[in-house]
Amino acid sequence: MLPLSLLRTAQNHPMLVELKNGETYNGHLVSCDNWMNINLREVICTSRDGDKFWRMPECYIRGSTIKYLRIPDEVIDMVKEETIVKNRGRGDMKSGRGGGQGGQNQRNRPAARGNFGGGRGGGKAGGQGGRNPPFQKQKPKQ
Amino acid sequence: MASSGDKNKNSQNGDQKEKKRKESILDLSKYLEKTIRVKFAGGREASGVLKGYDPLLNLVLDNTIEYLRDADDPYKLTEDTRELGLVVCRGTSVVLICPMDGMESIQNPFVTQD
Amino acid sequence: MASGLDAFVNHTVSIITSDGRNFIGTLKGFDQTINIIIDESHERVYSTTTGIEQVMLGLHIIRGDNVAIIGLIDEDVDNRLNLANIKAEPLNAVVH
Repeated sequence: MLPLSLLRTAQNHPMLVELKNGETYNGHLVSCDNWMNINLREVICTSRDGDKFWRMPECYIRGSTIKYLRIPDEVIDMVKEETIVKNRGRGDMKSGRGGGQGGQNQRNRPAARGNFGGGRGGGKAGGQGGRNPPFQKQKPKQ
Repeated sequence: MASSGDKNKNSQNGDQKEKKRKESILDLSKYLEKTIRVKFAGGREASGVLKGYDPLLNLVLDNTIEYLRDADDPYKLTEDTRELGLVVCRGTSVVLICPMDGMESIQNPFVTQD
Repeated sequence: MASGLDAFVNHTVSIITSDGRNFIGTLKGFDQTINIIIDESHERVYSTTTGIEQVMLGLHIIRGDNVAIIGLIDEDVDNRLNLANIKAEPLNAVVH
């Protein structure tokens, strides 16, 4: 699973973001991009020493200044991975994307946590749910 | 999010990620002529009226105030400020942007502080 | 990609970040910049006066910039540790 896929899935969820300067921001994720830049809403900013607090209606944070993000546990079960095929000199991008969308169409299918392990070990059963090990060659959907 | 047709088009040219998302997730036009708070890499903070910007996050601020910091701790703000007037902020050093309208200092809102 | 982290996925890992903190959790994923997903994570806080304190944290994305070391944990060995009796100096932050 890719960290940025998880982050995208976490949109509209509350989270805690710690910046490299030590400040923390609690808020709901509005949007994020491939650089990990994020927009938060209904934010509470805590100073590095934890002694000052500010409320902000919204804020934009540059991704490169983030140290880590704490995300609600349940979000990991909601990730439907688009298969990201990086420039790998392969012509199967189309099927790769298609596979990702297949996963999205099955969005309502509950993904039990166990599927993650199963997907890796056993392959197909887990893969059906839209999970594809990131570095495995893409198989066409169904 | 991009439509499926969009996705296919992008995947065909084999280029990575950016294509469908070149549009910034931050729309600074909504802050034009409004006062925004900006935090910079290294710990400086300022606020000013947004007069202009570019996609690299370079900003033009007017009536800018810098919030001065503790001499011993470059991340600790003091009550002191200084007026900077009209400034250009370098985008690469911008860490955070938020509107001043609605930003307020509050008491500890967390029941149990960790 | 030849980062070698593939072998750690779904295993318990210990991550030392450049601010000197130590996170333990199940590696769920990573990318080419070593951004890391760890699930069911906790932080171990080291002290010379009291034993190791464990702070439960849950699901985390740690940005790759901030990752110094990722180590595979031998859970058998780790479970045998009596963390309450281990005292250690906290790590310093990396100096850039």
